[in-house]
This record gives sequence, C-alpha cells and structure tokens, in this order.
Amino acid sequence: MLKALTDRFGLPVSVTILLLLWFWLIVLVILPQLIMIDYSFRPNLLPAQMGGPEDGYTIGNYQTLANNDIHRTIFFKTIWSSILVTFLTLVVCYPVAYFLAQLASTRQAMLIALLLVIPYWINEILRTFAWYLILAFQGPLNAVLLGLGFIDRPIRFLSGDSGVLIGMVYAYLLFMVFPLYNALESLDPNQVRAARNLGAGTIRTHWRIIIPHAKPGIATGCIMTFMLAAGSYAVPALLGSPGSRWFTQIIYNWFFEGGDWHMGAAYAFVLLILCIGFIALVMKVFKIGLGDIGR
Amino acid sequence: MDSRVQLQQLSMSFGDFTAVHPLDLDIRSGEFFSFLGPSGCGKTTLLNIISGFLTPTSGTVTIGGEPMASVPANKRPTSMIFQNLALFPLMTVAENIEFGLEVRGISKPERRKVSDRLLELVDLTGSGDKRIDDLSGGQKQRVAIARALAVEPRVLLLDEPLSALDLKLRQHMRSELKEIQRRTEITFIYITHDQGEALTMSDRVAVMSAGRLQQVDEPMTLYQNPATPFVAEFVGENNRIAGEVVGNDNGRVQIKHPSLGVLEGISTEAMAPGTACSLYVRPERLRLVGEDASPVNRLQARLDVVNFEGAFLMLESSIEGLSDPLKIQTEHSTMPASLTKDHPVSLVFDPADALVMPESAAEGGGHAQGLD
Amino acid sequence: MSAQRFFHYTIRVYLVVFFLYMFLPLIIMSLATFNDSRFPTVWPWRDTTLRWFGELWADTAMWEALGTSVVVGFGVLALAVPIGVSAGLFLSTYQGRAKNFYYSLMLSPLLTPGVIIGISTLIFWRNLGVSGGIGLTIIAQTTFIAAYVMLMVLARLQRFDRTQELAAQSLGATHAQIVRRILLPYLKPAIITAAVIAFLQSFENYNTTLFVRGFDTTLTVYIATKVRTGLTPAVNALGLIMIMVTVLAAVIYELLRRKDLDKAGKGT
Ligand SMILES: Nc1ncnc2c1ncn2[C@@H]1O[C@H](COP(=O)(O)OP(=O)(O)O)[C@@H](O)[C@H]1O
Ligand SMILES: [Mg+2]
Repeated sequence: MLKALTDRFGLPVSVTILLLLWFWLIVLVILPQLIMIDYSFRPNLLPAQMGGPEDGYTIGNYQTLANNDIHRTIFFKTIWSSILVTFLTLVVCYPVAYFLAQLASTRQAMLIALLLVIPYWINEILRTFAWYLILAFQGPLNAVLLGLGFIDRPIRFLSGDSGVLIGMVYAYLLFMVFPLYNALESLDPNQVRAARNLGAGTIRTHWRIIIPHAKPGIATGCIMTFMLAAGSYAVPALLGSPGSRWFTQIIYNWFFEGGDWHMGAAYAFVLLILCIGFIALVMKVFKIGLGDIGR
Repeated sequence: MDSRVQLQQLSMSFGDFTAVHPLDLDIRSGEFFSFLGPSGCGKTTLLNIISGFLTPTSGTVTIGGEPMASVPANKRPTSMIFQNLALFPLMTVAENIEFGLEVRGISKPERRKVSDRLLELVDLTGSGDKRIDDLSGGQKQRVAIARALAVEPRVLLLDEPLSALDLKLRQHMRSELKEIQRRTEITFIYITHDQGEALTMSDRVAVMSAGRLQQVDEPMTLYQNPATPFVAEFVGENNRIAGEVVGNDNGRVQIKHPSLGVLEGISTEAMAPGTACSLYVRPERLRLVGEDASPVNRLQARLDVVNFEGAFLMLESSIEGLSDPLKIQTEHSTMPASLTKDHPVSLVFDPADALVMPESAAEGGGHAQGLD
Repeated sequence: MSAQRFFHYTIRVYLVVFFLYMFLPLIIMSLATFNDSRFPTVWPWRDTTLRWFGELWADTAMWEALGTSVVVGFGVLALAVPIGVSAGLFLSTYQGRAKNFYYSLMLSPLLTPGVIIGISTLIFWRNLGVSGGIGLTIIAQTTFIAAYVMLMVLARLQRFDRTQELAAQSLGATHAQIVRRILLPYLKPAIITAAVIAFLQSFENYNTTLFVRGFDTTLTVYIATKVRTGLTPAVNALGLIMIMVTVLAAVIYELLRRKDLDKAGKGT
C-alpha cells in the first residue's frame, strides 16, 4: 500500500495522505461506531455504581425497546412510513428523470437540471419550513380547498403523519432524481425504439427495457431516500405533532431529556442495523454492489 | 559527450509472462537507433526500462559508461517523448518547454532564452504563450520534442511519437526528426511498428518479435540480408515458398516444393538435406518472362490482380499448390499490354536473389543478437 | 392522437405540476416575509412591509448563530477537503485487493443516518473528555462531508492522463514537484467546487449538528428552534436571504462545472 503511494507521490506526501486517511477512517468513522455499540450494551449507572457488580455487558437496553409498546410501535411506523416515502418519491421522480434523460432537448435538459439543482441546495430546514406554512391550520392550502368548496372545515394536516410524509417526499426528492437520471442517461435511445418497433407499448417498454436498465439508479435512490427518511429528525420535528413521533425523536429524548445515553445508543444502533438491512436487501433484490453506489 | 547506451542481459517479466527475454545491445553515441516490431512485442517495456520507469527483472542499463541501476527516472540523462505526447494542458507552450528547467531551479530569464531557442528549432517561433489545446497535432508534436530537448538529454527516447499524425504530416515529421537528431548529436532511441519510419530515419534498426531481438543491422542490410524468416517477412514485402532442402553446395541450396519442383537459392548456413526451410524472394526480383526462358526457378502462375501503385505496378498471381499469391513488382514498360487478369504468366528469379532459411530460425531468432 | 404522443403530452403536463410543487412552497415562504402579519402567512394579506428584515437585522441571537455556522463551515472545509483529496488520491493509486473494501468504508458515512454520526461522535469524544460544541460539530460533520469531497476528487482523477506524471518525471521533476506543479493544478477546479459544497453542506446540516452542538447554536438549528418556538416572519426573511445566497452559489457552481466540463471535453 505504502509502496504504490510512494512510487507515485514520494514519501512525505504519501505519509500525509495515509495519516489523513487513517485519521478519518479510524478516528472519525470506525471507532465512534464501535464505541457506540459498546455503549449500547452497558447499563446506565450512577457514578457510585461504576466498577460495581452491575458494571458489565447487558442486553437490557434492547429489551427495553422490545418491551415498550409505544417505542416498538413508533419503530415499526418509522419503517413502514419510510418505505412509503421511498416508494412515493420513486413514483414522483421517475417521469421527471426519464424526461430529463431521454426526451428533453439539450436546452430543456439544461434548464430542468438547473431548476432541480436550485432547490437541492436549499436548506432542508427551510424546505420543510415552507411546507409548515402551507399546511398550517389557517394556511394557504386550507384556504384554497375551502375556497374551492372541497372541504367545509380546515384540516389539521400537522397533527397526523400526513404532513410528515408530504414533507419528506418533498425534502428527499432530489436524492432520487439524480441517481435515476444518471442511470437513465446511459440508456441507448435505440433500445427504446427497437422495443417500440417490435410492438411493445409504452408501459411494457418501460417495464421490460427502461426500468431494468435504471436498476442501479433506482437502488441508489431508494437507499438514499430510505436512509434519509428513517434517519430524519428535522421533518418530523417541524411537521409532526407529539402524537406522531418518529424513531429519531425517541433517540433524541433518551439523550437530552431521559439522560440515558446507553439506551439512546442502543436505539441508534437498532436504527443503523435497520438501514444496513435495507441497503443489503435492496442490493440483493437489484443484484448490485456497493461500488455501483455513488457512481 | 559519451551517450552510448548498453544493455546487458536485460530482461523483464510481469508475473509469469516474459515481456522481454534476456538481451544484449550496444547503442552507439549519437546514433539514431530504432526498435521495430509488431505491437505487443515489448518495445515500450524496453524503453521504460531505459528511462527508469520500470526496474528490469534482470540485467543492467549503462548510459555513457555509468550504470543506471540506482539512478531514478528523474535523474537519468534521458528524456522521453510519449505516444500520446503527455503535454501539460494547463501550462502554455513555453511553460511546457521550460518545465524541465523550472524543476531544476533555473531562473526565469535563463529559461526563456532556452525556450525561445527551441521554439525556433522546431519552427514555432512566437507561439510560446499559446495554450496547448489551441495547437494542431503537428504543432503539439513539435512542442513535445522541444520540451524533451530543453533538459539537454544525452539520450532521447521516442515511443511511436508519430503514430497519431496523418500520413502527410508523419512523412514530413520524419525528415524533421532526422534533421534535429543530426544537428543535436543526441542519441535517439526510437520505437515504432512502422517499418517505413524505422528504415528511413535510422542508422541502425533492431527488429523485435515476442520479446526477443531478431536482428540488429543497418536498414539496407536488414532488407537485403534478413537473418531470420521473421525479419524477411516483417521488413519489406516478400514472397515465401516453403520446402525441404534437397541439395547444398557452397552457399547454393536446392529446395523441393511438393508441386513446384526444385528451386534454387542461396543461404548463409549449411543445411542438411531434409531440413524444412523457406525460400524468400522479393517482389521486385520476380520477372515476367516468355515461355522460352531458362528453366531454372521458373514458375507457372495465373495473374489475379494488377494494382497501380504510381511509379510501378504490383501484380498478384496465384500458383497451384501455394496458399498465398505471389507478389510481383514491375515497371509499366516491361508489362506487356496483352497481359490481363486471368492470363497465365511465367515468372523467374535469379538464385542469387532468393534467400533460403531453415524453419527453425523462426522461433529462436538466435543468431543475430539474441542470446538464449 | 397515438398512445405515444399522448404519453409525451402527459409527461410535459406532469413536469409543469412537478415544478410547481417544487417551487410553490419556496415562493409562498418568501412572499410571507412581506406580509405585515405576526404569524408568517400569505393568507390573509394584511399589508406589505419590510419591517421583518429590520427585526431580523436587530436579532443578536441570529447573528451569533450565523457566526457559529461560518466558523463551523470553515472548520469543516479545512478538515474535510484535505481528507477527501487524500482519499481520492489514495483510491486512484492503490490497486490492491482491499480497494473495494476501502471504497465501501469511505462511502459508508454517506449511507449512515446523520443522527447516528452525531450520536457516535458525541459518545466517542465524551469518553475522551471532549463534550459537545463547535469543535465536535466540525468533527462530526467532517465525517461524512469528507466522503463528498472524495467522490468529487475521484471523479476528476479518473479523467487524468497519468503519462503526464511520467513525462514530468522524465524531465527531472521530483515526486513533490509533480504533486505541486501537475497534480494539484489539475485538481484545482474539483477542489474549489468541493470546498464550496463542503461549506454549504456544513451550513445546512441539522440532524448531525443537533447531537454534537453542545450549547452552541448554528443558523440552521436556530431556524428550527424559531419555527417551533416564537415563529415570526423574521424567520421567512432569513429564509429568503438564504435562498438567494444558495441560488447564487448553485448558479456559480453550475457555471464552474460547465467550464470545467468544456476544458475536459477538449482534452489534450
Ligand atoms: N505492467 C504490465 N503488466 C503485465 N503485462 C504487461 C505490462 N506492461 C506490458 N505488458 C505486456 O508486455 C507485452 C509488451 O508490451 P509493450 O512493451 O507495451 O509492447 P509494445 O510497446 O511493443 O506494443 C504486452 O504483451 C503487454 O501486454
Ligand atoms: Mg507500445
């Protein structure tokens, strides 16, 4: 490893590269995760109890999660809602990415890309805040719906999960559009023409030719969206209500209200396992490797 | 300035694969020396060893009498021109040329003097401030040459530098390179798979095949006295007739071909009767004759193709029993007007113009310079 | 009308709806800045005013949070850019068997939820006696922002013609001179955009920062707090300004990227 580097960069630069790399990978990436896992298997002790008989490894923190009905329900709701968000985002984004990659002229494509990039760079908190204003009880959405006569009474969007779902789809759209676009862009339009020629209709062409080609993009987009949704704190904090809490909010409470970091670490580790599991599942279903992610 | 390049028992292996078999070679000071061989025969590998980019598996490189084993690439008295030129696109033409001096800590005005002189040498006076992207292919070529010369190397290494140019420019650059070499008196080591390039520019040429040296000689000698069947076939056009030795006296060899009968040629080595061999005769040494000509080395053929090549005609004619058609080069004037396609023709060649070589020479290539 | 024509027509209508969906919320939020109402809304419209910009200007807590964000942003930039460049150089050089492993490991912070990066950083450093604050925020954000830098540097390195390095070496350049004169100038555009993106990523980060910020408040955290407690259109004014700054940055970034693509397209 050092030889390959010194042959190219010489010793001083190579050593600098390796030191920075190791600092990043060991001190910032690996060790914190390991310590967090270690933490999650230890009880929360008073200073006096440290080193005492109770100071050892335990799965008690995980049992708490398994036995607490409310937390368990919220955990499963988080999974289910994140899957729903992922699916909705995919459906909303697919036509846009397809148009951008295959149908748009160069000028259209440039314009659309710019229109997509701009909101992408706007703060997640601000994008969420915008929906907070729209969905407010006395906000413009209710006003429009009332004015058009669709409803007689304003709806409390912000007290259930619907606000959270809408906000998440909006916030994470772009993490789906760009991977999809990257995958679809490499599709040879002649393949589509050939399929048409052979008599396949629009839907069949998409199902049999285009979507299989976009698989790596779909997988990357789904992984990113699911990870962002399941791990989101901002959106449920702003658009949710006390009755519609997200798993991350419980974790936060263990840290900053419950004061039990060990419990929080256990919950966080469960969330991490969930995301890793989802990634593994998607990679297996779509038959892709980690190398395909991130282009 | 001594800029001899000596290779001793030099070889290179990549894992199990031997790209260069052990070879010895002595390149003279101030010589224009070429390595000629088909792509993949190990030319670039050899050049990379001389320049220091690769460490040979065995053997030594000596430049001007100094062993190079412990001298890193950036300290060797060589400089290299790459197949893709590898100009620095973010620097101007002058900055490219001055790069080698800049890294040696030479002052700006000094560098400017050198680059101005070199730009003049390569006919690019006044282009110093241009961007690399704004140059044509031929101009880039010259910048690469100037850049390599700026560091005053004792040996200039050139890896197929003309291959990216179109035919006209390529031919023009040949004479220009030769001219620059003559004026600078630097040793040029040039590698190419194009025999035309090698034969026109070089003082001497080493023909390589599959990691082995086949023959090292002056271009004329390579053409007239190829040492191996490979050289006979690779350098210039040649006709090959395979057979078996039947007689042998004083350099004259008779061979027997199953359907063409006995043919006669010359050979530099003694071959026992029964040895499998090949007879080579150049297209310009085959003559069209009437029925009444001498019966020695006469072949009956049928004319297949007449190619007009400008100064001469190149004919192809097939012979029963030979897999490849014979090529015959002839003047317009000696070509009877009555001869057309599908016409039977008689061909003869002088035994002194036909070289006979044993088949086994094809593998080793041993007797020229290779040593295994 | 053929099915295909119908499809193309539908998809265009869909695009219009999609972009309305993308931009309407942002427009509404921006408009609400100018409504003279205590709560930010565009309905009902009371009176057009600029006073919320004034209130924002006078908000010392906002200025303090902005200062914190800028300090954190530059800190992340100073740490993540060298790390990301090193990682890119490493991956483009090392060809051993473990290359895929290293790549996956370097990518993993991008696939880990931000809250978990925050939590693990918080726990790890507390064991070493370091508690939450600006320093820890910089470290936590660097963990994943370095991976973005790595991806950008790697993408550019993949288009690099390495014979340039051999050419420089043959002209007498040392390794250090090759890095300084050939490699870094080539990487410069990627490093600049990576720096801009690293700063923006840091600036807008919420999920990770929330856990490691200690008693320090970044601008993003400040906005979130304001939305939940004490929301006034001053928040919209801040949002509007931030949108304008980001749009400007995005446009500059796009232009830089195009220029960079043009250059690469011509090649040598
Ligand atoms: N680094 C390497 N690893 C393995 N094989 C190599 C390497 N470099 C060259 N070779 C092999 O060595 C042979 C000679 O290559 P090269 O010297 O580039 O040929 P030439 O320049 O004559 O076309 C080729 O078969 C090539 O595949
Ligand atoms: Mg080569």
